[in-house]
Amino acid sequence: MQRSNSEPHPEALPAFITVLSQPLPYFGSRPVNGVMAAATLPSRRSLFRVAGLAGAAVLIPLSGCAGHAGQQNGVTTLRFMQNKPEVVNYFNQVIKDFEALNPDIRVIQDFNEGNFVPGLVRNDPPDVVTRGFATETAEFVRKGIFADLSGLPVAKTIDPKFQDLISSWGQYKGHETSALPFSIAAAGVIYNRDIFAAHGVAVPTTWDAFIAACETFKAAGITPIYGTFKDAWTLRQGAFDYVTGGMLDVGGFFRDLMARGANIPQSAPESFSNHYRSSLPKILQLASYSQNGAASKNYSDGNAAFGKGQAAMYLQGPWALSQLVQANKDIKLGTFPLPVTNDPDQTKVRVNVDMALSITRNTRKRAAAERFLNYLLEPSVVNTYNEKNAAFSPLMGAPAVSNPHLRGVAAHVAEGRYYQGAGTYFPPSVPMNNYIQSFVFNKNGEQFLTAVDDEWRRVAERTAV
Amino acid sequence: MTATALPAETATAAHNDPARALAVRSKRRIDPTYYWMVVPVLSLFAFFITLPALVGVFFSLTNYAGYGDWKFIGLSNYVNIFKDPAILQSYIFTFVFALTTTVVVNVVALAIALGLNAKIKWRTGIRTVFFIPMVLSALVVSFVFNYLFSNTLPVLAERFGLTPLATSILANENLAWLAIVLVTVWQAAPGATIIYLAGLQSVPAEVYEAADLDGAGSFRQFLSLTLPLILGYLVINVILGFKGFLGTYEIIVGLTGGGPGMATQSVAMRIFSGFTGGDYSYQMANAVIYFLITLLISVIQLRLIQRRGVSL
Repeated sequence: MQRSNSEPHPEALPAFITVLSQPLPYFGSRPVNGVMAAATLPSRRSLFRVAGLAGAAVLIPLSGCAGHAGQQNGVTTLRFMQNKPEVVNYFNQVIKDFEALNPDIRVIQDFNEGNFVPGLVRNDPPDVVTRGFATETAEFVRKGIFADLSGLPVAKTIDPKFQDLISSWGQYKGHETSALPFSIAAAGVIYNRDIFAAHGVAVPTTWDAFIAACETFKAAGITPIYGTFKDAWTLRQGAFDYVTGGMLDVGGFFRDLMARGANIPQSAPESFSNHYRSSLPKILQLASYSQNGAASKNYSDGNAAFGKGQAAMYLQGPWALSQLVQANKDIKLGTFPLPVTNDPDQTKVRVNVDMALSITRNTRKRAAAERFLNYLLEPSVVNTYNEKNAAFSPLMGAPAVSNPHLRGVAAHVAEGRYYQGAGTYFPPSVPMNNYIQSFVFNKNGEQFLTAVDDEWRRVAERTAV
Repeated sequence: MTATALPAETATAAHNDPARALAVRSKRRIDPTYYWMVVPVLSLFAFFITLPALVGVFFSLTNYAGYGDWKFIGLSNYVNIFKDPAILQSYIFTFVFALTTTVVVNVVALAIALGLNAKIKWRTGIRTVFFIPMVLSALVVSFVFNYLFSNTLPVLAERFGLTPLATSILANENLAWLAIVLVTVWQAAPGATIIYLAGLQSVPAEVYEAADLDGAGSFRQFLSLTLPLILGYLVINVILGFKGFLGTYEIIVGLTGGGPGMATQSVAMRIFSGFTGGDYSYQMANAVIYFLITLLISVIQLRLIQRRGVSL
């Protein structure tokens, strides 16, 4: 028989007990954030808070229960949540160095991002947070979850064009700085330099040259682009984001779209149908240069196959580089931004704020949290991290990237010729990955545009109220 | 069950003898042991299941994202759900899937049970082999099958020249659900088989001897004797199976993740997406609607059971 899904997670119980063991006034009218302080019915609300806690404890599988860290013997304990399991060791070292310099602060690293929202519900979020910055984090910003960091001296060391990547999503109260970028990832077309050289293909700077390169490889019996369509996110991150970002003004489009609110008929100039139609044929063209059976290959299949030299190009970000080198340590890789137009000056690269640092508004250890955040943004910490992880440092005057894999996109990033992927603007309640996958499989552009327009409108309607 | 049977007995006794009824009423009518047994379970159930469910119902009337500020928005979440074709599609998928799977599971399980109940060599050993899928985690099973469908089968198909099978069935929007049915059946059939085996063993051998004397063939015996005699077990299997398959989740996550496209999104997956998607209240409304539908189905099924005179 099927196991029922409503079964409480075995670990939910201890987490719940932690909640209960906290002092009772905790349940009182302490607002979750500034907005909540305006509540008119504190008693009823706190009742629901208790009930909500019970609900959260049962319904959301909580793993691990961080004890209620507080101040003991003059030592402040901070909880630092970061969401990348692969860099836990780096941050452990950073924390060790920080603690040596600041003996009155102890930092616990928590790399379980799944704990974040439950932490908000319990009003016990981590003190310092780093997440990728896109729709979901922007939503937290809009709800006032994070403290204003604009007053920190370290905020002035951030390159304003990278800070714009964050503020373009909207600022709390219109002026606050809720997050500071820590790491910028630039994604383009990863290519196998040996295969390019063997067939005398130069890095294409126009769409036509790119298509010509694909045809050359195809004629030579080499898969031009390795497709991993089974993992729908790779289609969204690759073909969809690259083509739309390369030929349209994605940021401007979503700014206008969000300004329209829920009132967007499909015929409106702000609609997807109007804006994205022109990009669809190129997305399908990209997909058509993939190997047979791309639909049953996933991301890790793709890394293994591309690492073994089974294709000339791979539409993936820098996060794949280490996997590719792991699959074949002799592989010679490079990255170039996908040229989607025939004007090389128009070519842009996809970037995302891979890590952005925030301090939660309600932390009782603000001073210690600020000291830790200052330390994280010291050039030695932030630049070393980005150097090691094939990413770009957000600091002004950061050294130029030396990573040979990234040289092809470094100029574009430095000159600000970039965009944030269109797919990252969708709220998680719109299953955009699935829609794109469906579009690539069925090639029905009309259906795709209508579905996305409808879905966006429905979500806007129900979140606008 | 015993706890509910007891007061019924005392009540009849009290009805017959008013004097004793008074005496009984003044004393404790039920042995406190039953309270010791029932109350803790009931309170835990109420606290961990009923209360959160009610909280969910409450929040389905708000625009709560799971955190932060919220306000009441009345029934508009419910209205919106009925206008959402993606939700409707997930309902259609889930019900078609649950119906198909229930039928296939029961046919397969009954066939296996009949085979395992016959006098065959190595019966205990073979029975054990057939029950192995039950001990494996559904998620692990589905990841293994995912690998088979995506890598092994296409390679084999290509080698033998079966081109239509050379791409994974999981990548086909029209056929992916059949793969999910197959894996679910593989995983769920042993459980149903156990119940059928128990049923078959409860049928006395004399019945078959009599049928043999009357000259009934084995197919006739199955139709006219075995099936009616194990009908209660069949009803239980159908009801438990259908209920379980309506909540299908982990096998889909392991096989297709709801794809390709939107083809295999089950209702449970949509509801669960509300936790991470900031769509908590909307999916809570979805959950309430789904609860009411399953409640209705349960009531109908319970009626059927009572008519058949079997109890769960």
